[in-house]
Amino acid sequence: MTPEDVKALVENNNIVVFAKGTLFQPMCGFSQNAFHWINQLQKPFTVVNIFDDESIRPALVAYSGWPTTPQVFIGGELLGGSDIVEELFQSGELQKKVELAFAE
Amino acid sequence: MISTDDLHDMLEEHFPGDDIVVQDMTGTSDHFDVHVVSDRFSGLSLIEQHKLIHAACKEHMGGAIHALKIKTQTP
Repeated sequence: MTPEDVKALVENNNIVVFAKGTLFQPMCGFSQNAFHWINQLQKPFTVVNIFDDESIRPALVAYSGWPTTPQVFIGGELLGGSDIVEELFQSGELQKKVELAFAE
Repeated sequence: MISTDDLHDMLEEHFPGDDIVVQDMTGTSDHFDVHVVSDRFSGLSLIEQHKLIHAACKEHMGGAIHALKIKTQTP
């Protein structure tokens, strides 16, 4: 994967979660927590397991400038990791961003 | 590995005089919970706020610090 591939992926999908592991087998508590909150939105989302290929993580970090995983993109915008997604869900801001992304 | 005191000191350099709480989440000196209350966060998005924390811990991110749970607030 290249940074251009990451860009295309996040611009062509309303919600993308780059995580360690899969939705059904998260390999990290932070990724699991991000999945938990994104699941609550009840919208389709794309999961990329960074362990699927060793090129994914460097491409992701080069594109986003964010050093850690998970990384959650909504409407092409990097929102952040697990703590931010949780906080934005609880404030209702995440739901608004998702509505907007799906309305476009 | 890094101690909670060392991590606290690193954050204090970037956030002098602000409220900083550092906890070792697992007792293994590599998973930390960081809570910082600072004026520097005002007007910034959460991701920009977290980037300031990452920057403060930069030399140890992905090394001694395996995981960082972050909570940022303005006073």
